[in-house]
Amino acid sequence: MSSYHVVIIGGGATGSALAHDLALRGIRVTLVERGEVTSGTTGRHHGLLHSGARYAVKDQESAKECIQENMILRKIAPGSFELNDGLFVAITEEDLAYYDDFMEGCAVCGIPTRTLSREEALRLEPNLNPEVKLAVQVPDGTMDAMRLPLRFLATAKHNGAVIKPYTEVLSFLMEGQTVTGVHVRDHTSGKEYDIGADIVVNAAGPWAEKIARMAGVDVPVQPSPGVLVAVWGRYNNMVINRLHRSGDGDIVVPQRELSIIGTSSWVVDDPDKLDVPEEHIRLMYEKGAEMIPALKHAKMRAAWSAARPLIGSRGATTGRELSRTFKCFDHADEGVEGFVTITGGKATTARAMAETTADVVVRKLGLDIPCRTREVVLLPHTAYYTQ
Amino acid sequence: MSEQKVTFRVFRYKQGDTAPHYDTFTVTVNERTTVLEALQAIRRDQDGTLVIRHSCHHASCGTCGMRVNGKEVLACVTNVLELGTPTVTVEPLQNAPLISDLVVDMGPFYETFSQAHLPFVRRSEYLPDAEVAEGVPFHMRFESCIECGLCVSACPVVASDAEYLGPAALAAVWRVVQEPRGTEVPPLLDWVNSEHGCWRCHVALECSEVCPSNVDPGGNIMALRQELVRRALGLSHG
Amino acid sequence: MLQETRALHPVRRRGWKGWFAVRKRHLGYVAFALNRLTGLGLVLYLIIHLVVLSMLARGPETWDAFIELAKSPAFLLLDVILLAGILFHGLNGLRVILVGLGIGVHRHKELFWGLMLLAAILFIFGAWGFLVV
Ligand SMILES: Cc1cc2nc3c(=O)[nH]c(=O)nc-3n(C[C@H](O)[C@H](O)[C@H](O)COP(=O)(O)OP(=O)(O)OC[C@H]3O[C@@H](n4cnc5c(N)ncnc54)[C@H](O)[C@@H]3O)c2cc1C
Ligand code: HEM
Ligand code: SF4
Ligand code: SF4
Ligand code: FES
Repeated sequence: MSSYHVVIIGGGATGSALAHDLALRGIRVTLVERGEVTSGTTGRHHGLLHSGARYAVKDQESAKECIQENMILRKIAPGSFELNDGLFVAITEEDLAYYDDFMEGCAVCGIPTRTLSREEALRLEPNLNPEVKLAVQVPDGTMDAMRLPLRFLATAKHNGAVIKPYTEVLSFLMEGQTVTGVHVRDHTSGKEYDIGADIVVNAAGPWAEKIARMAGVDVPVQPSPGVLVAVWGRYNNMVINRLHRSGDGDIVVPQRELSIIGTSSWVVDDPDKLDVPEEHIRLMYEKGAEMIPALKHAKMRAAWSAARPLIGSRGATTGRELSRTFKCFDHADEGVEGFVTITGGKATTARAMAETTADVVVRKLGLDIPCRTREVVLLPHTAYYTQ
Repeated sequence: MSEQKVTFRVFRYKQGDTAPHYDTFTVTVNERTTVLEALQAIRRDQDGTLVIRHSCHHASCGTCGMRVNGKEVLACVTNVLELGTPTVTVEPLQNAPLISDLVVDMGPFYETFSQAHLPFVRRSEYLPDAEVAEGVPFHMRFESCIECGLCVSACPVVASDAEYLGPAALAAVWRVVQEPRGTEVPPLLDWVNSEHGCWRCHVALECSEVCPSNVDPGGNIMALRQELVRRALGLSHG
Repeated sequence: MLQETRALHPVRRRGWKGWFAVRKRHLGYVAFALNRLTGLGLVLYLIIHLVVLSMLARGPETWDAFIELAKSPAFLLLDVILLAGILFHGLNGLRVILVGLGIGVHRHKELFWGLMLLAAILFIFGAWGFLVV
């Protein structure tokens, strides 16, 4: 193992995948997370293993990342997904008019598709709105929002990474314009202490801007929450998406014995202050029922919000205009050494985000060690708690 | 939506403390507020040192298990006002090592649970008449158990027998027996056919009462016993 | 390392007191606690019973004096409590045996109340027998 030490701030999908990547490259890693791992945005996401089809028209960079990572994750995390595929359903004439653009986008991005007639679609998913015009099958799937990152963490731990939950970064240790570590509080004991680092990586998702400010740099991240509604029962086996430009309440992800309808999108300043607007809950039911009418009377299990870490220009108002791709910032560009931020992206693309970031980290350390996370099969999620 | 003030009596403990104590907080809630949201509000606005465990906020991850007014629940789907008490007492799960405040160490739970080798994905019993899409082997879904440990906290036998395998692991073994998916069944049956295995249970069925995820661990334990008896009598093979 | 960190954390386990911590618990738990209580009570009774029987060995005077005592109302009341204990323990025990063998698991509450109805009827007859006859 190399003597270089990297501290990762944030135990979400991104931080977890990065800890795994760096540990595989033989670098000493300490990951600090202020709560339980995945207690930020990651644990609360929709649970969709994206095929990329959702972004195939408007955000092709993101769509290509998704389909590539989708295929890699199936290989490195076998047994972690409900692989029932997904359908994009056209309900109205307007939806139907989007079909050509959609198919072309999927083809450009390398997303496999299969077009189904109304009858075929209803045989696969009998609860679909009988008005359905046609459907397109894509390789969507369902993931467990917490347990996939746990597999990254379990494997990272196995390879020597130290994971410290309930440990909050309070400030940065700096020597001039160089970050040399972090000052943290262990909430389980109340004790504060310093952790030295050759490089600190900010993987704090929608909190990334707050963290970056501690080191005196600005990261253009806008927390953009969405509401999700879980109802009892599985109304569909496949992930059901509306065939149109993305909008509110247009995906129903079945998971375990629940169906989860999402989502909406707006922007806030503080990712710790997310409300669950009543009208958004109603909207989820309404929009969900346009695709699967029985959802209208489904019994609610939970409604909650989570904040996307969207990169973009400030001043965006709905969050939908912001790209879903990710970005890695080497803050040497702004004159601060030893500090990198990775944010944006999707849970589906966390491995790719980690690869890009780890490449930057090893380059900064003057090393040349290749990434191995495309091949290494991850330990089961239970191994996170048993080692 | 109307707002209302509710008092929370919260179990507190930090490593190094000689004994735990309770702190009291007042939180403004509405008809939708869950215990988890109230605790998050306490941490955000009143006491940043409160340690809680949460992730999915919709009863899927199993991290937010705790005792609310003396009963094991998932805080994320427990509505504050529906509890109907002016003071809400919140404590960590029992029968597990206490890390801090409302968080327990799930290590021992997973230590036992993982020995059941329960695959995470199972055949789905929903929509049995639906056709399976091309390229999909069969309709699949995640196992119901969310590994929350509520059952283990509520079981009176676990309270006095640290070696008892406990309802979650036993229920998981039954799921493997029902649908092995490549896992070897006989060694698992030997594992549970023991003094601290499925014969240790006293049929209080409190585990099934508190289980938030339709697992019915108590029923699964009885099914395991039946299976063991059947095998002992030579009535079941495989 | 695991073992070390584990040892640091105290386990909150109630031990035998947990058997009787029935606040907020459901029927099966309460029945379990009562069954254990009555079971222990019955054992206690059995011991007393054997001690009393051993009086027989000490001659007819001690025995006659005891029979006089045993006819007093206070003692009869004890018999009635014993009867209640036996009926609860025996009939609930029957349910535990059935459910424990996988019979009626999902109707265990109905089974309980059915058997308790039987217990109540037998109890009324029995108590009437003790106190009146
Ligand atoms: C409504 C919604 C639905 C979504 N659905 C999907 C989907 O279906 N599929 C998909 O692939 N993606 C989905 N996403 C996107 C995905 O959830 C996120 O992109 C991803 O989870 C971000 O992970 P992260 O690790 O970057 O951030 P986070 O998970 O937020 O992790 C950052 C962590 O940093 C921690 N932290 C913050 N401050 C500190 C501090 N001072 N010290 C220590 N730790 C700190 C936080 O506690 C947090 O855990 C969805 C997002 C939203 C909002
Ligand atoms: C009428 C017939 C009886 C039946 C059907 C019966 C049944 C049972 C059953 C099924 C149990 C196990 C309960 C459990 O698993 O939690 C039990 C426990 C017990 N029984 Fe009985 N029993 C009977 C009579 C007695 C008598 C007469 C005594 C006392 C002399 C007695 C003393 C006990 C004791 C001490 C226990 C252990 C308590 C426990 O494990 O909870 N039983 N009985
Ligand atoms: S049924 Fe068995 S496992 Fe379940 S709570 Fe009772 S004693 Fe424990
Ligand atoms: S069996 Fe039920 S209560 Fe027990 S861990 Fe699993 S989900 Fe939780
Ligand atoms: S937060 Fe996941 S079960 Fe409550």
